Amino acid sequence: MQLDWLLQPLLTQLNTGVLVLDAQYRVVFFNQFIARRAELDLAKVQGNLLEDVFADLPIAWLKRKLDSVLHLQVPAFSSWEQRQYIIKLAHLRPLSSDSQYMAQNCSMLPLTAPDGVSRYICLLIEDATDAYVYQQQLQQSVMQLEHANRTDGLTGVYNRRYWQQQLGYEIQRAGRYQHPLSLLLFDLDKFKDINDQYGHQGGDFVLVELSRLIGSLLRDTDLFGRYGGEEFGVILPDTGMTGALQVANRICDTVARHKMLYNQQTLKATISIGVVSYFDQSIDELIRRADTALYCAKRQGRNRAVVYQPELEGYLKKVK
Amino acid sequence: MTELHFSDVQRDCLQELVNVAMGQASDKLARYLGTFVHLQVPSIALVEATLLSQHFANRYQQQSATLVSLGFFGDQGLRGETIMLYQLANAGVIARLLGYSDDAVSEAEMLTDISSVLTTTFLSGLAEQLENSFSYAAPRILSSRDQYFADKLAYTAEQWQLALQVDIRYQLTDYSFNCDMILLIPGEAVLRLRQTLDNILAEF
Repeated sequence: MQLDWLLQPLLTQLNTGVLVLDAQYRVVFFNQFIARRAELDLAKVQGNLLEDVFADLPIAWLKRKLDSVLHLQVPAFSSWEQRQYIIKLAHLRPLSSDSQYMAQNCSMLPLTAPDGVSRYICLLIEDATDAYVYQQQLQQSVMQLEHANRTDGLTGVYNRRYWQQQLGYEIQRAGRYQHPLSLLLFDLDKFKDINDQYGHQGGDFVLVELSRLIGSLLRDTDLFGRYGGEEFGVILPDTGMTGALQVANRICDTVARHKMLYNQQTLKATISIGVVSYFDQSIDELIRRADTALYCAKRQGRNRAVVYQPELEGYLKKVK
Repeated sequence: MTELHFSDVQRDCLQELVNVAMGQASDKLARYLGTFVHLQVPSIALVEATLLSQHFANRYQQQSATLVSLGFFGDQGLRGETIMLYQLANAGVIARLLGYSDDAVSEAEMLTDISSVLTTTFLSGLAEQLENSFSYAAPRILSSRDQYFADKLAYTAEQWQLALQVDIRYQLTDYSFNCDMILLIPGEAVLRLRQTLDNILAEF
């Protein structure tokens, strides 16, 4: 049975781009897939150089690939994941893809004419736009998940798990490079009273409002997290005791002066802060010391920052 | 597993075919790269796929390695997958070798490029020796900058019954780097390969 007639309709219908070049990289043939998407007429451009037919080709890169196909007589490949497209072609997902051009997988195959001498290269171009779109969506979802996974749902600061993990990393870094590192642990004063007076929604409002306020006082490198309930922590990398106490006092003063408007009522709140600097303690010990200092700040009358000192341990025992 | 083993004669025959294919590849690569390429006569070993990962984990200990996979398919059911292993430290050498410098090319692209050049050049020679011809799938990076590549290799190798391990050392006049190539061949293709080797042996 004679099958030659199949070739033309198949090439026309094929959902893959077929582009044939001669050994001088002149365009010999392309099928409808390419003609339609590049809006080209084969008869008009046949015999022209590849780079004159298709605009903005990565020509140095492409020629290196084509050279290897020609000289080694082995195929070469290009994946959309590494190079999104070679030839600027329209795709069939104009609405769902954020890219103007078709993402492409391309195989470049060596061909020899029946004369046994003339060499050609066939480029097969497959549309990978769907895979590209899915991957973009996937990446976006992963980013959203990562964000949700480290954020406290109410206040938008880091959640306890992520914050504590970062504290572990910062301790390692400070220990390795001998950098200073300090930690603030603070607590809203008499939060129960706020909740009783304004309801839990009022309490939540205060937590959100103060998180935003305190966040605006910190550097980009500081790590602000919700430790639990109305207790928060701030990791201050590259900060010694003096700097940490300055930050703590500034936070304390700013919060005490800040007026919040809730249901036509003006609210004020204060916080107590425990300050500790890192000197080879374990993460648990560092948090325990910050907690001790915080407890002392409360005992000393609230609305203040207290720096941890070993003497505080005795003070703690006495008042207990 | 025993039925997949090769006799000494079959093994020697395969070694010889691999040598010829490697010699041809070396010649082609030298012409293409414009530098003298010496591919040492590779030692081949047929190993159970399950033992591969430990072998390479030991060899690439403490080094970041990259695995690039390339599938091939021939006539008469002969098919398989090659895995190239590189030390990432060689990436710069590879870039110079391929003439990458004039435009921005990702490391991933560089590695897949050199892998497909090296493996397809060798494999098309081998196919010729086996009176076959292969078509190839695009190379894929299985793992990069990953100290735990042994796990990835173990997972890949699990799917194959037999691995033909070909240790290749590329030496070039101006550059030197080495990498390993592993040919993974599934059980039924091993039977085909043995049949082909027997046919070749019968002609002598």
